[in-house]
Amino acid sequence: MKPRHFLAIIIIPLGLIMAAIPQNTTHPYKLTPAELLEHVNSGMQYFTPDETADMIINKDPSLLLIDVRGEDEYEKFHLPGAINIPLSALLDEQWKDYLNQDIRFNVFYSNSTVNANQAWMLTRQLGYENNYVLQGGLNYWVETIVNPTPPESTSPNEEIAKYDFRKGAGMALGGGGAVSLSGSGQTAPALPKIAPRPKKKRTEGGC
Amino acid sequence: MGPLISNGIISQNTNFFIAFLIGIAFGFILEASGFSSSRKLAGVFYGYDTVVLKVFFTAALTGMLGLLFLSLFNWIDLDLVYINPTYLYSTIVGGMIMGAGFIMGGYCPGTSFCAASIGKIDGMFFIGGMFLGIFIFAEGYPLWEGFYKAKFMGIPTLSQVLGLKDGIVVLGMIIVAMGMFWVGEWAETKFPREEY
Repeated sequence: MKPRHFLAIIIIPLGLIMAAIPQNTTHPYKLTPAELLEHVNSGMQYFTPDETADMIINKDPSLLLIDVRGEDEYEKFHLPGAINIPLSALLDEQWKDYLNQDIRFNVFYSNSTVNANQAWMLTRQLGYENNYVLQGGLNYWVETIVNPTPPESTSPNEEIAKYDFRKGAGMALGGGGAVSLSGSGQTAPALPKIAPRPKKKRTEGGC
Repeated sequence: MGPLISNGIISQNTNFFIAFLIGIAFGFILEASGFSSSRKLAGVFYGYDTVVLKVFFTAALTGMLGLLFLSLFNWIDLDLVYINPTYLYSTIVGGMIMGAGFIMGGYCPGTSFCAASIGKIDGMFFIGGMFLGIFIFAEGYPLWEGFYKAKFMGIPTLSQVLGLKDGIVVLGMIIVAMGMFWVGEWAETKFPREEY
């Protein structure tokens, strides 16, 4: 048998298989539902209000708060330093460099966690890293940081220390209960500069 | 998973190292199969030896099938695989210049280095000519820049131009290649040469 015939016997069937099956158009970086569920169950996407408040007070440059509520709600009140990306505009080209980066933690928040989680899930599915969700949303933020409930006097020391921190944080971030008022009329912070992340490029090649 | 570099699985330096090993293997196999003889390459044009044609087409078919199967198994993201952009006019003219060089010199850039490394003087001259050409092209670049970049078409693939599925195009290429191999072997019996 000539090598030509041998080659034909192998590659013609392979070519027929390739011609017969549908083309694969999926992108491997997409998560399967099972993988996504695993991420959700692990709860790793949450930033607690305490962590977040601590980072805000320390002016941690690696934190970027992203308000996913509508523009009017953002104007009324937003956390210090937060930028506004309404959920409906999440996929706009202008936000891509903010969401797809690897130098800071993006923390989504909304009133509860529903919209923030939706934003997180969308970005996760796009393969973007470093996006997180503020645990409990603004409602829980108000409960814990703005108006913390004083612990029982018989509580363990840790509880009291936590309460002290929260009270201090609440004051630092706008004086206790007054925080919701101090937010109004506040001008939106200038968008921080983001160095675009090096995009995945086609590998250069040549003959 | 793939391409390995784009997905950060291996670094650029590892990539160079792998390319170095593949390059050695490539050169070794070229030399071992007699590609360092300019008569072998010229034989394609005169019909007495079509090994070069068969080898390069087999390589192309293997690559096509391999990429499509890897993509099918989600082992490579074809969107991240480099495709040479098409500038139509410079591709046509460049192809003609390269083809003329093939016939006159009897080497392609790879095989000329193979030949030079085993001490063939014509191979060394071929390399000299190649560098002279590169020098002239680079120095005169402003003169032909407009032509060089004319008729940019992006990165069209045959399947996009024809509006067919990749798999169908590959099957078509396989059939065309088989036909060419058959014609090639027929030509080898028709225009035989005793010694070359």
